[in-house]
This record gives sequence, C-alpha cells and structure tokens, in this order.
Amino acid sequence: MNNSTLNEAIILSKVVEISPTTRHEGHSKLVLKVNDAGIIETGNWCSITPVRGVEKLAVGKTPEQVPKIASRVCGICPIAHTIAATEAMEASIKCEIPKDALMLRHILQLANRLHSIALHDILILPDFYIPGTETKINPFTPEEPVRSVAKRIQRLREIGQTIGQISGGECIHPSNTRVGGMYRNVSEQAKHKMYDLAKEGLVLAHQQADFMIAVIRSYHKRDFVDVGGMKVALPKDLGYHNQGYLATHAFYGTSSQEEHPTWDLNRFKDTRPWDWYMGEMTVDLEEPRYPVGGTTKIGTKVNPQMEACTSIPLYDGQPVEVGPRARLVTFKKFDEKGTRGQNIAREMEYQDCCYEMMDSLDELNTSGKVLADYIPQGDGSIGWATNEAPRGCDAHIARVKNWKVQYFNMLVPTTWNFATCSKALEGAPWQLAEVVMRGYDPCVSCATHMIVLDEDNKLVAQKLIQ
Amino acid sequence: MGAELGKYKTCVSARSTDKEILKHAQDGGIVTSLFGFALDEGIIDGAIVAATKEFAHKHPEKAMMDNSNMEFHEPWRPIPVVITTKADLLAAAGTKYNLSPNVSLIKEATRSFGLDKVGIVGTPCQMQAIRKGQLYPIGLRDVGASIALALGIFCMENFPYQSILQLVEDHAAMKMEAVKKMEIGKGKFWVYGKRGQVVQLPLKVTHKYEQPGCHVCLDYVANLGDISTGSVGSPDGWSTVFVRSKIGDSVWAKAMAAGCFETQPIEKVKPGLEMVSKLANEKITKNKATVESRKTFGVGKGLRIPYI
Repeated sequence: MNNSTLNEAIILSKVVEISPTTRHEGHSKLVLKVNDAGIIETGNWCSITPVRGVEKLAVGKTPEQVPKIASRVCGICPIAHTIAATEAMEASIKCEIPKDALMLRHILQLANRLHSIALHDILILPDFYIPGTETKINPFTPEEPVRSVAKRIQRLREIGQTIGQISGGECIHPSNTRVGGMYRNVSEQAKHKMYDLAKEGLVLAHQQADFMIAVIRSYHKRDFVDVGGMKVALPKDLGYHNQGYLATHAFYGTSSQEEHPTWDLNRFKDTRPWDWYMGEMTVDLEEPRYPVGGTTKIGTKVNPQMEACTSIPLYDGQPVEVGPRARLVTFKKFDEKGTRGQNIAREMEYQDCCYEMMDSLDELNTSGKVLADYIPQGDGSIGWATNEAPRGCDAHIARVKNWKVQYFNMLVPTTWNFATCSKALEGAPWQLAEVVMRGYDPCVSCATHMIVLDEDNKLVAQKLIQ
Repeated sequence: MGAELGKYKTCVSARSTDKEILKHAQDGGIVTSLFGFALDEGIIDGAIVAATKEFAHKHPEKAMMDNSNMEFHEPWRPIPVVITTKADLLAAAGTKYNLSPNVSLIKEATRSFGLDKVGIVGTPCQMQAIRKGQLYPIGLRDVGASIALALGIFCMENFPYQSILQLVEDHAAMKMEAVKKMEIGKGKFWVYGKRGQVVQLPLKVTHKYEQPGCHVCLDYVANLGDISTGSVGSPDGWSTVFVRSKIGDSVWAKAMAAGCFETQPIEKVKPGLEMVSKLANEKITKNKATVESRKTFGVGKGLRIPYI
C-alpha cells in the first residue's frame, strides 16, 4: 500500500460508538473505527462505570473487613472477590487454612460459577436463533421450546445459589469466609442437601450445555445474521485474536503461599488506558436501526483514552484473555477460537462445576475444623491470591502489617479482557461488536480502577503497583 | 375477653400423652411434643430451641458459633441450638427463664445446618421478629419460606442471666447447679432444688430484675405464633394452647389425630381463660403506661417505642 492509499484508508474510516452496551453487568461502551464495508479496523471497548475506589477504602482497614468490602464491588461474582481477597490476606500474613475450609470454599466458588453461567445464558440467548429457523430467541417468551429452557436456567441458578448459601452463608456476598478459614462447617444434613442439589444440577447442566452448544454452533454456521433489520455477513473468525491466555487453575485458583504458584506477580504490569486506547475523535457514522435505540449521534465527541475507567493489565507485556476458554485451553487442551470457542467453553464448564462440587463434597469432613488455630498478625510482606471467577482470573494483591491492610489491589477478570477484546474486535462487522464483547461475559463494574482526574481531565493520581 | 388474647381458632387445655416428655417438660410438654411430632412427620426437619450451655458445649456443631465463652460454667444459661432428633429435643426441654436469642439462629438454620423446614419456639417478641422477617426479609433471603412452624410461649417479662443468678443464688439462697426447676405461677417465682427444697419468692422481689425492654411489650400470649402455649389458665401439669394460624391448625389437628395430646375444654378447667385474660390485660395496661411515659422521657426527645 503506497502512502496515498494509506491516507485514503485513514480518511475513509468512520467512527461509530455503541453506548451503552447492553445485556451484561456494568456500564461500558464500544468506540469503533470502521472501514467502508463496516468492518472494524480499531475497536476500543471501555468501561465507563464510575470508579468504586475499593482499593483506597481498603487501606487502613483490618484484613477481615477488606474481603467484605471487596465483595461489594459487584454482585455477580462477589464470591470470587471475597475468596481472592481473603486468600490474599492469608497469603500476606502467611496463614494456612484447614483442608475442610478449603473444600467449603471450593464448593462456594463452583456454586457461584454454576449460577453465573446460567445467568450468562439468559443474556446471550437473544443474539441467537432457534436452530433451523429464522426466529431469534426471546428467553422471556412463554412459548416452547424456549420456555422450558428459561425454566431450566432458573432452576440451575437456584441450585447454584442455594449451594452457595449453605456453604458460604449467603450466595451473594458470602458471609462465612474468614481470614484463616470459614466461620463454621456445615452439618451432615446440609452436606446431603448440597449433594442432592449438585446431582440435580448435573442432569440439568448436561441438558442446558447440549442445548446451548447446538444453538451457538448453528449460529456460527450461518452466513448472515440479522441485527436490528440489517443483514450482516457473519465472519467465520468472529472474535479471533492472537493474544495469549491466562488461567491459574482449572476451577479454583492459586496464591503466593503455594510452592509452585501458577501466576507470577513479576510477569504482571499495570498500564494506563491512554497507552492503548484511541484519542479524541468525532462520531461520523450513525445507525438508528441498531438495537436498542440506535448508536450515538453524529458529531458527538468521544475520547476513549480519557473516558476509560480501567487500567490495562499486561502479562509478559501483552494483554491476555482470561475466562472459560483460557481455562480450557490451559488445562484441557481445548482449541476452538473466537467468540464461538468462548461461548462453547463456558457451556462446557457447566458439568465440570457439578462434578467438581461432588468431588469436593466427598472430600469434605463435616466434623473437621475449619478455622486455623493460629492467625498471624502480618509482617508487611506482599501476598497475592488468584481465584478463577466465572469470567476469568481474579487476582488480588495485599500487604498486611499488624492486622492492618497497608496495600490492596484487585486485578479483576474483565480488566484483563478489556484490551484483549479490543483486539478481538478487529475484522468483525461493527454490528456484531457486542456479540464479540458478550462472549467475554463482561462484568464491568468491578473492572473499574482508581484514576483521579482534575478539572482539565489531567491525570493527577493513579493506583499503580507500588 | 377481647383483643388481649389475639386471634385464635381454638383454645384448649392440653398435655402430652408421652410420659417421658412430661418428665422433662415445664408444664404440659406442648412444645416438646409438637416439635417431636412435626419431626417424625417431616413437617419440620429441625427446630431452634433453647438448650442449656452444657448441651451446646457438648454439641458445638448444633449451636451458633459466637463469642460466648463455652468454657465458662453457667448452669441454666440458655443457648439456642438447632435440634434434629427427639433425644436432643428432650435434652433441651423446659423453661429457663432467661433470654435465649433463638431468632439469631434462624438464618444459619437454613444455611450451614441445611434445613428446608425450620421449627422455632420463642417468646411473643421473638414471634414478632419472625413474622417481620417473613414480611420484610432484609438480610433473611429465602429464610421466610423455610419457617414451617413457629411456636409462641406466653411471656410476662424476661430476665437477663445475671438476674436469674441473683434471684436464685442470693434471694433463694441456692446454688445454680442445685436447681431442678424454676417456675413462675400463682403470683410467685418458684425455685425447686435437686435435693427437694422449694423456695418461693414474691414477684415483687423479682420485678426489679426484669429486662427493662420487656416493659413496652403489649403481647402476653404470643399473638403471632402458629400455636401459642403457656401454663396460665390450666391446672398444674397442663398447658393452655391457642391454635392460631392455618399451619398451626393443620399441625395441631394431625397431632391430635396421632394421639399426642389429651385435652380438656378450656371452659371446664380452673382457672380458665379468665385468668389468661386478666394477666394479659394486666401486662398490656402496665406496659402501655411505660410506653406513654417513654414518649416524654429525656430532654426534648422520647425513647424509641416499638408500638406507637
């Protein structure tokens, strides 16, 4: 390409903005630079959820308070945040927890994943077609076959939440995790109840995964899909990217206390969004038919660099993908790529949740102790723990000294995925950008980090690794 | 007789037909028998009752893990526990005459205890808390629907543990360990010793030891229980039973059909419902006065009053 055609291409690309993105947790938007054919050249997916400031709130609090605060960052995977934060505290103070406490945490973690996958099913179903028809799926319709699917999803969520409730005291913001173990062990009766529920869940999970995989595969076999009345060509490599994968455990996590941790703090680096995102631009492509309510009006100024509320974490100097596909690629030799691979990997984790839960229940001794005998006060050393949340690796870093938290940082799954997904958007028709994004099961609010801007939008402070 | 007895479908004087239960029970063994029956029939799969500290110490997995010092010997200190068998139920039978925070276990019962159908026994205020929790389940997600049977007990007022200690050890001059049974009846506080001695204290003496919070309560007969029961109104060894709700009615009918209780019509027994009414009115009148006086208590601001 000589210089003149290059310049022409730059001039010809248009900017379209989808704001807010829908059917996922949190508040985010897509700013896309597209070519004449509507194919994305550069995609920026950014969080515009207001900053929570949890990491600042944590400083000076006691280690048992911080996981409870960290959990409040979001209600979709509060369990992952609680467990990761608790274990980061334990890693910092170097406290080993009893095996039965760990088993209870495993169960809690899997219960959370079970209900989260089911929830994600509801959110992505409207993108897909009933196989063999031109009818898009409305998960809330009273008509079959969708009705029984919706009921199955509800039951799976109920099962996940009830098991979480029993093992962790509460299914949203679990109350029973403590620094040093768990508040209390469960009764034999409770163990049986969880087992029964897991067994029931397993049957439903098989059915649900089969259904979803069929629906996802039939969608990706199509040549064209309909988006708000627009006929859009569906590329076979939708959502492909060449970034790496990061997963620390097939379902649970790792921590700096382990002899061979599967995550390395030294390979991680936090960078600022303006190193990655596009600068100020003006929207010059508008599509009123785009659901729901059309895209942003022409002439609107956008500035992803300044508007993005996240940091961009790098692993080995690159953004990486975290989530179900990363776990399956790392631990189970899964090889499907793109949005299709992501959604299928997530469905494949359904049954694993129930199987792992049953294994953990087999291991659980209900009369065993669940709290460490000795809980050190902390000497100020850095400790970290990761937890494989439903949507990816959730790493928490903490420093505790004399039972006070001096430093706390959360590297949550969707933070990892923001930059990776932005890469994956390239080459996709802009109308399908949200489909690609939803493949990551985004949970945006917890991904929002601490950045302080003054009146001139100039950065005055940012939370970086110290 | 008016609103002081609350709404009820039937009222009888009853006692358990199970001799073993009567041996352990305070009066007619109504709560113990009902829970025993409900456990057998699968109406409940566990119940929250007030056991002793010794019981909780022996079975820590059945009690709330809180900060109470389990090593510290405190006879007659009630500890709420979740029981799932009849044997445990018998071990927890009998009135302890001091505060047992049974409601504190209601959530945990549906969580780590894994109960689907919970039975709970409590004083009128605890019944109010249970019903409020069912209406406004803040912090009690999924708990309301799990409450399968709530049994209320008559209550004039309650005592903190220190008060009971004072009454028994100082006024009645008896060691707490040596006490077999405590009772309030016939206008007196009775303490029965294991060696056979009986001490009676006039209620005038006990009044100052009451929990002040009880003095704003306008409910004597547990108006919000599914079934409420107490000794007042019935002869010794019998209990007065109010069957109040649909659930209560169905459980009571089943228990009667199964022969758990022998009953007498409340009209036929002495002192009968008039006595219950009299005491209920006494409590309400007395406590209404406290409520009124609290309205203007303090400088420019009243104390919090739950009933106005």
